[in-house]
Amino acid sequence: MSVTETLLIFVGIPAAVVLLITGMVFAANRGGGGAKRYRPGRRFDFTPVWFLGRPEQLADSAGTALAAGAQAPALTSHKQEKAGIEAPAGGTGGASDRW
Amino acid sequence: MTVGEKRAEAGTDTPPDVLDGPFSTRQLLRIDEALRLADQGTGLVFSVYVGGLDEPIREHAERLHRQLAEPDRSVLIAVSPNQRQLEVVTGRYARKRIPDTYAKLAALSMVASFGGGDLAGGIIQGLDQLASHAGKG
Repeated sequence: MSVTETLLIFVGIPAAVVLLITGMVFAANRGGGGAKRYRPGRRFDFTPVWFLGRPEQLADSAGTALAAGAQAPALTSHKQEKAGIEAPAGGTGGASDRW
Repeated sequence: MTVGEKRAEAGTDTPPDVLDGPFSTRQLLRIDEALRLADQGTGLVFSVYVGGLDEPIREHAERLHRQLAEPDRSVLIAVSPNQRQLEVVTGRYARKRIPDTYAKLAALSMVASFGGGDLAGGIIQGLDQLASHAGKG
């Protein structure tokens, strides 16, 4: 076996394998969505989403554009007023919790 | 309309906003399915909001709840991952079907999942618990 052949087999092949595995690891990291994941206690930037079974259930016309997953629009003063009038005094219930 | 259909409308070149949200496509489909089942099974209107809530948090959640078409029959689950806060708001009629104690129970199990970093799983579990307690409408 010549020197070049020895080098090719004992250096070239291991180097190729190492490169291949490194490439696969980075490809998996990028595609796997591991980067965008909520971890408690860590800052998490994302677009706010609002899911509805049927998006026409939103009250006002501005709201209908806010289909599942759209960003919540800021409440205009008019809407806030309207909401304030319609507010059932102490009518709503529910629960709160933190984690 | 479902989450999936909204995506079709947006066209193929620009990814829709919802994909910038905290969920993967598969999780979105599961949440969509859970919402649909909860709505159909109970006759109430379930809705899930995931995003920042302004202080005071409870008031903001109630304001979102009032934006729904039928607030009385609606249940809003508002989750703020960065503030680590969960609010469940039930309307006047929905409250009779889901008493506050049961809402609190569902909130507890949701918070357990959120604490482990599983937003979608917690939401689906909470929807399931609330819906199964509300029973048939």
